[in-house]
Amino acid sequence: MPDHYAQYFEEMPCYLSVHDRNFRIIHGNRRFRRDFGAEGEFCYRAYKGRDSVCDGCPVEKTFAEGTPQISEQTLRTRDGREIPVRVRTTPIHDETGAIVAVMEMHTDISESKRLQEELAHSRQRLAQLFEEVPCYLSVQGPDRIIQHANRRFRETFGPAIGEPCYRVYKHREEQCIVCNAQAAFRDGKPFEHEEVVVSADGREINVLVTTAPLRNAAGQVEAVIEMAVDITQIRQLQSQLTSIGLLVGSISHGIKGLLTGLDGGLYLVNSGFERGDQARVKKGWDMVVRNVDRIRSMVLDILYYAKDRDLEVEDVDVAALAAELHEVMEKKAMDGGIELRFDVAPGVGSLPGDAKALRAMLVNILENSLEACRSDPGKKDFQVTMSVRRLDPWMVIVVEDNGIGMDRETREKLFSLFFSSKGSKGTGLGLFIANKIISKHGGTITVDSEPGRGSRFVIRLPLQPRPSTRPVVEENAVATVGPGG
Amino acid sequence: MATRRILVVDDDPDIRDYFTAVLDDHGYQVTAVGDTGAALRALESFSPDVVIVDVLLPGRSGLDLLVTLRRSQRWSTTPLVVVTGVDQLLKDDCQSYLGTHAGVEGPDAVLGKPIDPATLLAVLRAIEQRQARAAS
Repeated sequence: MPDHYAQYFEEMPCYLSVHDRNFRIIHGNRRFRRDFGAEGEFCYRAYKGRDSVCDGCPVEKTFAEGTPQISEQTLRTRDGREIPVRVRTTPIHDETGAIVAVMEMHTDISESKRLQEELAHSRQRLAQLFEEVPCYLSVQGPDRIIQHANRRFRETFGPAIGEPCYRVYKHREEQCIVCNAQAAFRDGKPFEHEEVVVSADGREINVLVTTAPLRNAAGQVEAVIEMAVDITQIRQLQSQLTSIGLLVGSISHGIKGLLTGLDGGLYLVNSGFERGDQARVKKGWDMVVRNVDRIRSMVLDILYYAKDRDLEVEDVDVAALAAELHEVMEKKAMDGGIELRFDVAPGVGSLPGDAKALRAMLVNILENSLEACRSDPGKKDFQVTMSVRRLDPWMVIVVEDNGIGMDRETREKLFSLFFSSKGSKGTGLGLFIANKIISKHGGTITVDSEPGRGSRFVIRLPLQPRPSTRPVVEENAVATVGPGG
Repeated sequence: MATRRILVVDDDPDIRDYFTAVLDDHGYQVTAVGDTGAALRALESFSPDVVIVDVLLPGRSGLDLLVTLRRSQRWSTTPLVVVTGVDQLLKDDCQSYLGTHAGVEGPDAVLGKPIDPATLLAVLRAIEQRQARAAS
């Protein structure tokens, strides 16, 4: 070999070595000798401190196949450093074409290995970030098929990958009419909108959705990423605030009406005294009592509405409850010239429930019926009947009146919050709360009514405990009793 | 003062009794009814000089009655006083309701509940004086 070639061989910025068939190193360049020792050593000993040929030895393979080989290995230097290398081998032939030796070149790939590891680490961090970000993240293709979805998304909407977004988000089989993912594909811009989606278990979730295009190296939109933030709690809070606003308006309206009634009562009492007209005083005083009573029940309704309390469950003796109600309501009925009848079947027994709540509910329904009679200018004889029957698995309570009755609109909105057909006298809370109490007990209420004919409310309360009326175990009892409860 | 006839329309019997007593004590002749249907019948039989009507009534509202009266030949100039316990929000609703009935003149007076006897009588006197000025 000419001198300058020998010098090139010597100075190459990699490990260069030539091996014979016995895996002995015939030559090694300077860098090789520095890190792996003297020539004449077996390569497996020099590289790896082994006593036998390595599995898949590229030198052996080159001798056997006569072709260059490429592989990656880790070598150990004399001073114990491990160096990842890319190994290239090439056969050296004699004049007859026989392979007499194999040249091996090892390039140090430590830096590229380090970069690869860093890249893998960054990828893993990014994937973790995508996976753990506390909102619903998904990537969708042009066909609206979800390609990737993060953990929170999958936990809420099920195994969504490979499914179209409209099926996953809304359980529908066609694309939504307004689709911001499509808009992001079309316009290449981000979009934001709010909507209601449905979880795999059927929960409605209010989400604020931001959709942004994902472009490839050529700048074309290949996919869109969608980030949906759950704002259900914010919306619920807003709705509660709206309810409070409506409540304030409704209360103020109701109280103004009741104050006018009180003004009327006071006027009749005062002018009755002045004239010595006892009948007028009596009429005025009844008016005062009635309106004070209405204010009282309005305040109780508001308190009940304001505090969403747990039921205080006990065995409620239904006949005793009916007797108590009869006593309370009798006077009110008589004042309005209404006949109040209670028809409780013998042996109705008891049911699991909150006695105070059930009493408030029945007072609301009975007062509603008395009011329906008082508001009917078309009749003279009025009756309100409450009957109680035990029809397993229900306690069935029917409250019936022959008052003014309801049209369809009133019937349909009867249990809605703040709906009142009583003009100035109603807050729209009473029957809403009655319905809420019945639902909490696991019961139902239905109404049958026609204008001019009267109304019939049928309340069914379960005789067996439901989750909400199951007796509380002792250790939880402290947690379920509210302040002052 | 000649006896004037007042028609009171309110679904609360207490308020009907109250207005009837006050107005009767002050020389007015009163008919009180609970809804707009009865009010329309009373218009024919009683021919009131002034109508006092609550806004929130079962069925058709007091504003419905206002529009019906203003558009009728016979009652278009009959003074009408609207009584309401509603707050500003609902007052805006009343205005937007009337806004959908172009050309309909609003009520002659609006009385906010609670209403004391002096205010009720003052409103009626103001209407009488306005009518007297217009006639002279």
